[in-house]
Amino acid sequence: MLSNRINLKIVHKGAILVLVPLFFELIFLGVLTELLHRAEVEVQRQVRSKAIISQANTLSKLFYDAGVAMGGYSITKSPLFSDRYDKIVRQIPEDLEELRKLVGDNPKQKQILENLQKITVTGLKILGEAKSAIDDNRVDVAQFRARHMYKEIRSLADKLQDELRGLTEDERRIEQESPEKQNRSRTILKVFLVGGVVANILIAFVLLWFFTRSIKNRLDVLTDNSFRLARGQPLNPPVGGGDEISHLDGVFHSMADALTEAHRKEKAVIDNAVDVICSIDMDGKFVAVNPACYENWGYTPDELLGKRFIEVIAPQDISDTIKAVRAIRAEKSNLQFDNRVRRKDSSEINVSWSAYWSEKERAMFCVAHDITERKLAEEAIRASEHRIRTIINHMIVGLVIVNQDGYIESMNPSAEKIFGYKAEEIVGRHLLSLFSDSKFFSEHNESDTTSFMDTLFNQALNRIGEFDCIKKNGEDFPVELSISELKTHEGERYMANILDVSERKEVERLKKEFVSTVSHELRTPLTSIRGSLTLLSVGAMGALPDQAKKVVSIAERNTIRLIGLINDILDIEKLEAGKLDMVFENTNMKDIMERSEQSVNTFAANNGVKLEMMPTDAQVYADGDRIVQVLVNLLSNAIKFSPQGQTVTVAVESAAGFVHVRVIDRGRGIPEQFKKLLFQRFQQVEASDAKKKGGTGLGLAICKGIIEQHGGQIGVDSEEGKGSTFWFRLPPARTDSTVVVQPQETRAS
Amino acid sequence: MKVLIIDDEEDVREIAKMSLNLLGGLDVVEAENGQHGIEVAAQNKPDVILLDMNMPILDGPSTLEALRTNEATKDIPVIFLTAKAMTQEIEKLKRMGATGVLTKPFDPTTLATQVQDILKE
Repeated sequence: MLSNRINLKIVHKGAILVLVPLFFELIFLGVLTELLHRAEVEVQRQVRSKAIISQANTLSKLFYDAGVAMGGYSITKSPLFSDRYDKIVRQIPEDLEELRKLVGDNPKQKQILENLQKITVTGLKILGEAKSAIDDNRVDVAQFRARHMYKEIRSLADKLQDELRGLTEDERRIEQESPEKQNRSRTILKVFLVGGVVANILIAFVLLWFFTRSIKNRLDVLTDNSFRLARGQPLNPPVGGGDEISHLDGVFHSMADALTEAHRKEKAVIDNAVDVICSIDMDGKFVAVNPACYENWGYTPDELLGKRFIEVIAPQDISDTIKAVRAIRAEKSNLQFDNRVRRKDSSEINVSWSAYWSEKERAMFCVAHDITERKLAEEAIRASEHRIRTIINHMIVGLVIVNQDGYIESMNPSAEKIFGYKAEEIVGRHLLSLFSDSKFFSEHNESDTTSFMDTLFNQALNRIGEFDCIKKNGEDFPVELSISELKTHEGERYMANILDVSERKEVERLKKEFVSTVSHELRTPLTSIRGSLTLLSVGAMGALPDQAKKVVSIAERNTIRLIGLINDILDIEKLEAGKLDMVFENTNMKDIMERSEQSVNTFAANNGVKLEMMPTDAQVYADGDRIVQVLVNLLSNAIKFSPQGQTVTVAVESAAGFVHVRVIDRGRGIPEQFKKLLFQRFQQVEASDAKKKGGTGLGLAICKGIIEQHGGQIGVDSEEGKGSTFWFRLPPARTDSTVVVQPQETRAS
Repeated sequence: MKVLIIDDEEDVREIAKMSLNLLGGLDVVEAENGQHGIEVAAQNKPDVILLDMNMPILDGPSTLEALRTNEATKDIPVIFLTAKAMTQEIEKLKRMGATGVLTKPFDPTTLATQVQDILKE
């Protein structure tokens, strides 16, 4: 089809249907107008022709009348003829002028008119001469002239007659021609009119047929497609073309494709669904079930189809289920209910139903989701919650939950016990009210509570801080407290873990007192023992027998060892409690080395070991006495384990960010496996070392504690048989050189 | 040089006395508590006083205070001899007018030297 080939839109087709006939109509109208115009011209010309003939005849008659009047005048000399003549003579040019107007541009007639004018002028001149002769009474002349004139007039009159005849002939010819022409024109007009109308109708019909054929057929296809779409049948092939219909048809096809795809997906979803999807009719029978029923309930779809829905429900849930189904039908809406389904193997599962009643389909559509695991999980959660609740209720630590602003939301029994409040008494109050700070700050003052919470977070958020709390009865007591964030479904909360440390503090105090007492009570008798033995051994009481001297020396040496052990035990206790307090200040390493050297000089000499202190100007930020203690310990060890005649070297280097001190011996070295143990309590490389070399086995542990409390590190590099290098690192001197004094018990030497 | 030892432990007094006298060659007078010590000091005008910290009747610091307020004893150097001394306490004692602090158990062979060293400082 042409319209299909050129892909016209319906709008365009409509335009063609109107415009083409209109175009021919316009042409037809133009031609008709032209023909009418021509007929009009012809009529006018006919009228004019008649007028020219009439005028020519009038002129001819006037000319005769002039001659007759002149004849009469010449004969009668009557003024009657003269007046008549004058009147005619005046009339002739007017009539000529009139005739000229009528002739217009017709060249032939114009020529005749010019001849006519000449003849008329000549004739009037002759008549004028004749009249003059008559007036002058020159009758002879007049007669002569009259004769002559007559001849001339005759001749002129004849000529005039001829010319006028020519003119009238011409006009008559035209006039006679005209009706014929008009007839022809009218015939053409009629033919044209009829032909035009017929042609126009034909064109209109052709176009109408042409377009309706292309539109109607395809519209039929479209209509059919819409029914097919509604029925879910395959559509007709595409109608083609590029107009609105083909576009609409394309949309139908897309819709059909989309519906097919959606249907396919829906089927895939239903077929592959984990949940049972089914529809149940008015009688409560399954009319459609997806394959999931096998996995879920143990029935194949075929087994279920036609079976009553209620038959698969656990007997104990049947009445509730019937109620639920009735409610769904009554309310004609979505409803959910839970029940138990009895599987084919008679086991029961928990199922959550989501059902919808369709009044139109007179059926209930259901999705049945197996919630057995969920139920188990819920039970597990409940059990877990119960467990956690039990733990919380029985834990020793007090738990206080507060909101973001610090207002108490709940409290466990331990916290109730610790503070002496019942939870309901304290819920809603600010956490500040549980702290001794509440004596000075108000829980009702926002700036107080805010600054309190800031301090609390600062000191105890995700770490343990120590605070003083207050009981309901006003008694202050120390606590250890840590705050943790608690994300709940109601928003962010904070959990304060509170441990009443009153008892521990008391124990610590007692322990401190005990340590102090032991320190004093042991040292006092040891002072006497050690003093007595030393005095004996140095001969202050007079020379002793060699045997006695030996025994006294043993007693003295072991007393000193006992004193060292007591000192070390006290130190290590304090170190572990973090109570070995120190005075940090900028100290020269050179001084520390000199003081240490003095302490071990005699010992080194006794062991035949040389000491070598490398020069240094390094400064450290440390407690000088404690570093001397460390260095003396390391030097004593180095001396103890150095063969006679060897040298122990102390070298100090400043490195980036710390000062590195090394004590280098040329002893037997330390086996690899002992290196890690060295800095632990009561560890010596050989079990017999303690006896052979003396020492408590606590020295390096104390050194480690001291160095670490300085923020430094301690370690050993050693190769067995090649000696050892004990090293420690300390922070370098500070530029602001503030002295930090902390309580500290001096070490008795 | 005369040294006054004020200590409630007779054994300690004895050892200190022997150390200072026998090994150090110093004269020694004794007092068994603070109160007695003040009297002895006033009478004997020792060159230095070794003063125990914990004593009945009048403890070390109180004794020191009393010594310092007494015209006869106010200029006598006082060295504390103690089994237990905190750094802070040492500083405090020094501020109170103590010349030095020695710890127990002391080394009898060096006690006299240590006392003399402190006095030199």
